[in-house]
Amino acid sequence: MKQKQKLRHVVAWMSRAEWEQLLENLHSGQAALQTHALHRLSAWRGRFGNNTPVAVESTANLVRCRVLDSTGKLEGDDLVLLYSMALTRFVNIILERQQGKTAKPLRRLAGKLNIPEWIVNLRHDMTHHKLPSLKWCRKGCEFVLNWLRQEYWSRQLNGRLIEDWSSSSEDEEDEEERSKKHEEERARRQREIEGHKKARDLLIHYEREQFQVYEELLRRNSVHGPWPDASSDLSWILAQIKQFSSESRDMLIDALVQDGFLIPTADQLEGLGIDPSEDLLDLWAPCVPRVFLRFWFPLWKVLNSPLFVTLILEKLFAELSNEPTNHRAHYISAWISEILRCNSRSESKAIRKLKMMEERIFVSRVSFQWQELITACLKAPCPATPFLLQLILSDMEKPLPLATQQNLLRLCSIYTQSNHGDSSPNNTDSSQPVYTLESLRERLARATQNRHAHSPNHTPGSAQAPPTTDLQEYLSAETVQERNAVLRGSPWSVCTVSHQAEEAFSLSPASAQSDLLILGIGCTLLKKSLSCFCWSNCLGFGALL
Amino acid sequence: MKVRKVSPRPKNEQRSAAKRHPRNKWRVHNKKIRNSEPSHLSPSPATAKLEHQLASRQKLKLKRLQKVYPKTVALTPEVQVKSKVTTPATLPHVHTNGGMEVKNGSDSEDSQEWRSYAKSILQNGMGRGGREGRKNSSLMAPEPFEDEEVPKYHAQHDHAQNHTVLVLQQGQSLCFRGRCLLTCLSGRVEVLGFTIEQGQQPYPLFSPPSHCPLTITALEDCTPSIKNKKEGRLEAKAIIRKYLSSEPRKRLLSEVDSDSCVVLLQPLDTPLTRFLSSFSELNQLFDINSKELRSQAAVHDPALSAVGVTALQGPCSRGLVVSQSYREALTSLLSAWEDFDRCPIILVCGAKNSGKSTFNRHLINSLLNHTASVEYLECDLGQTEFTPPGCLSLSTVTEPLLGPPFTHQRDPDHMVFYGQTDCRADLDRYLDSLKTLWRHYSRENPIIINTMGWVKGHGFQILVDLIRFFSITHIVQLSYGDTLQCNSLTPEFLRAAQGWQTHPPAQPTLAVEPANHFTARSHVLLSIRSEFEAAGTAGEMRHQRSNELRDLALLGYFSQLQSAEPGPIRPLHCFTPYQVPHSAVAIGVTHCEVAPNHILYAANASLVGLCCLGEKVAGRGGPVLLSQIPICQCVGIGVLRGIDMARGLYFLITPVPPALLRQVNCLLLGEVTLPKMLLTMQHGVETELPYVTTDYSFDITGAGKLNVFKGLARPCFGKAKMKN
Repeated sequence: MKQKQKLRHVVAWMSRAEWEQLLENLHSGQAALQTHALHRLSAWRGRFGNNTPVAVESTANLVRCRVLDSTGKLEGDDLVLLYSMALTRFVNIILERQQGKTAKPLRRLAGKLNIPEWIVNLRHDMTHHKLPSLKWCRKGCEFVLNWLRQEYWSRQLNGRLIEDWSSSSEDEEDEEERSKKHEEERARRQREIEGHKKARDLLIHYEREQFQVYEELLRRNSVHGPWPDASSDLSWILAQIKQFSSESRDMLIDALVQDGFLIPTADQLEGLGIDPSEDLLDLWAPCVPRVFLRFWFPLWKVLNSPLFVTLILEKLFAELSNEPTNHRAHYISAWISEILRCNSRSESKAIRKLKMMEERIFVSRVSFQWQELITACLKAPCPATPFLLQLILSDMEKPLPLATQQNLLRLCSIYTQSNHGDSSPNNTDSSQPVYTLESLRERLARATQNRHAHSPNHTPGSAQAPPTTDLQEYLSAETVQERNAVLRGSPWSVCTVSHQAEEAFSLSPASAQSDLLILGIGCTLLKKSLSCFCWSNCLGFGALL
Repeated sequence: MKVRKVSPRPKNEQRSAAKRHPRNKWRVHNKKIRNSEPSHLSPSPATAKLEHQLASRQKLKLKRLQKVYPKTVALTPEVQVKSKVTTPATLPHVHTNGGMEVKNGSDSEDSQEWRSYAKSILQNGMGRGGREGRKNSSLMAPEPFEDEEVPKYHAQHDHAQNHTVLVLQQGQSLCFRGRCLLTCLSGRVEVLGFTIEQGQQPYPLFSPPSHCPLTITALEDCTPSIKNKKEGRLEAKAIIRKYLSSEPRKRLLSEVDSDSCVVLLQPLDTPLTRFLSSFSELNQLFDINSKELRSQAAVHDPALSAVGVTALQGPCSRGLVVSQSYREALTSLLSAWEDFDRCPIILVCGAKNSGKSTFNRHLINSLLNHTASVEYLECDLGQTEFTPPGCLSLSTVTEPLLGPPFTHQRDPDHMVFYGQTDCRADLDRYLDSLKTLWRHYSRENPIIINTMGWVKGHGFQILVDLIRFFSITHIVQLSYGDTLQCNSLTPEFLRAAQGWQTHPPAQPTLAVEPANHFTARSHVLLSIRSEFEAAGTAGEMRHQRSNELRDLALLGYFSQLQSAEPGPIRPLHCFTPYQVPHSAVAIGVTHCEVAPNHILYAANASLVGLCCLGEKVAGRGGPVLLSQIPICQCVGIGVLRGIDMARGLYFLITPVPPALLRQVNCLLLGEVTLPKMLLTMQHGVETELPYVTTDYSFDITGAGKLNVFKGLARPCFGKAKMKN
């Protein structure tokens, strides 16, 4: 998405209209219009400074020669000198960019750009040999102006052509931009690697600390009793994890769902006295082993912000959809069910018990995006999907119609080939439901895409910039008065925004009325009015006729 | 790759070191990291990294001492002091960075004090040099950083008050990236030559990745060490109690000693930082740079990162690389007061990227330890220190410079708008502008003259002119590499050198100064050979290019518009502009010829210098144009936000206070343009942005700017062929 976003360039013309007007004048063939265009180009050069495009500069030089030629006031030799400089500069500066590390013959470079050899020879004559005749100069100028028009002026600001144009750019500005991008990209990746490593390190520290607690419990033979309060070491690690999660939450979540953390390895399970064999897993209704839950409980406790819970749930579902191994799928779905159960509205007995034991991984109820949750759940089919779906459905704030719920569950069971208690055994007509599920999934996928388009998975905090009107500085009457008092006696004053003008300052594009005004120095300007509170205020383009 | 992650905190380490439970299973997923650990330190490869670190640290401390001693015996005892920082109590009171206790009342005439101060700089420096030498020595195997001590900082963050207390042992230093506000609570610390001690105001520190990182170094206490040790410790502990709540306090109290320095770091939130952070392109402006990332130089310390500071370790934490010649030059400049019956006039010159600006800042900060103010004449148009680029200025500096230029944009005493980032286009106007500024120099304070990096051809001639015009007493000439970038500016050389406006034999000076007779005296030449890593090469990383730095300086300048209280950041186009009739102010373009009737097209939405012409400007309704560019006082710059042709008004946004603005009667346009991001990112404007397009393609032939030919070798045969 970012790739497609076009770069914004700062240019010397205020609008496309100004560009088009200049283009028309330049190639009008009328001396008066061309002079006007040359004058405007001088203003552009003032704006561009060193960044004036070489094609623009060459065009200005050559058109100037043509205009001076057409006045008939200059002698032939004068004109040859003028033309010579303009043409020599054109060849040199347009080909300069084509040069690589070592100098190449100009003719070959020119060939690449469709500049015929005779133009290059003309330039060589002008710089090294006998000056060419005025006739040749005019011919050369004519040709080059046409070339510039074709290669630069008609192509530029012409969206369609640009798309077709080869993407290999030899331009310095783009190169600079690209190397900058590249460097940024590399730095970003490095930052990511660092972040991930840090996340893992923190979690390993945590695990090690907790494991010791467990061993201590084991020694005292009270594994099933309550775990002690966090030691100072543990709370220090937790504080660090919390700090880290506030900086780079995504990385922490990524690390957490890797094997060895929330998804225990067999070794880890053994260490906690849990039989790791897969046969014992209840794939249909997974739950996290109590000991393992307690093991992670202190971490959940510091990370229980609604945002974190939402994000990790999202992440868990995403992982589930990556077709993990049975073991992984089990623990992922077990954590999902744990989160959902903790969030459950209905205070079932079990929950109340958990609450009493303070073993809910988070306390305050999080209001999930239920629709999206269902989507995510359905996108990650696994044996436990019906179970999870049931949890979600029963917990929604605005529950779906009962029939819909039933249908969804049934479809789900069929898809995952599970024998969920709800699904009626006689519903064997598989083609219809699967088809429906497919379409359902398709629709849901589309919905998800839409959602992603609307809200990139950044933190919701990165809000859009507030509209300008809110940021507009409103000076109090006293401040204005104060400033004006200081300025009294000078021509300066604080811009007085009359009521009418205030309207214009706001973002109404309707105020683009254009009145013709005569500027004191003999230039006709089209007033574009204070249309919006951006940089344009008044200057439009003008035509001197 | 060696894993060197910083441990959470010492106590923790000790604990983990004590318990050595090999926990193989907890590390199975982390093979890569584990394998890289030297196994001889841990009983099992899976042992906590913490343990490894502790073990290695203890080991290395000893190693380090052993290493340093043989290398430094030839140097002053100070070196040993420096390296023995862990046992400071045994030290006699060695000279310190002198006379801080009399700092406030000091005047520049007190030669005694100066001498001791200068001496201390020398010796301190040599101490540092000893280590530096070790690091820099090319003979050293690549090993030196492997066994470098992993920095460990005793810092604790207080969440309630959102500040961090950092305890530094004497000689310990913290090299960092980021920004913060530093207050010295106890002891004395030095940052870029400036000494901050207990009781002084908080100073903002800026260490963005584009520049040499700042280092906070704890200095020895200058008060007689007879002071009861216990008392000192209690005092320090009392301070910590005052600034930290109970939980973090506990962890720090055990680390405090009578002679440790306690500094308070607070997050820095100024209009500048808020304004800069409103641009998404600049969101990593105070992060570590890509090179430091690659070499994993960042030390993870939550207490420091909570206030916006990232400590550096390894080769990147070297901070300012002070070469021997650099140190000597600094020393002799600091002692210059004794030998001269007038204030030193110091000219700093050298080719691009030779370290002029950093040296200037270091010198100014060092001088400010003893004198209330230093004057500064800016002759470098491209990288100005205090003003927006394109301006020449004379400033009085009273505050230390603890960051790059964009963090301390200040109003100069006098300023002339030149309009371009180099002076090639009009050498005479450049020189004449500087002469105008020079007339305002009071001669009561030392002055530092910063010159441009153009030291070839005409640029060198200009340098010669400047030396003659300003009767320079000290020239600091920086160079890098094995060859000098230009002729050495010795007094003998100058006697015969050809300037742009001055010539050797006839009159030594064309300046109109009454102090002509001084020029008869020759100057002192101090040559510095810069030895930092990238000397002589232009920075290629983010925010290091000169145009990016210029943009930052401009953003820094315009951040003065933001209100001091925290609040929404206003984009530039949201400020209420000033207005002035076309006929009341003259307008001119400094850098090119613009057709008079189109000049307003060039002026709209441009940067303008706000200048004060001597004569009154009164047009007859229309805009007043300047036929030539005047050399006149400039009070600041502004943005011509709009031009109302109907009412004949210019609209201007500027941070210049109204009292100065009222004198402005001339607007000068220059080549320095508004930072592009100000134009391209105007939030909230829904209509098409003027002067901004997404359709311009740089892929089309001729779309780019003129390529400045940077002297790529052109083989002879290529030339010969071309001529055929």
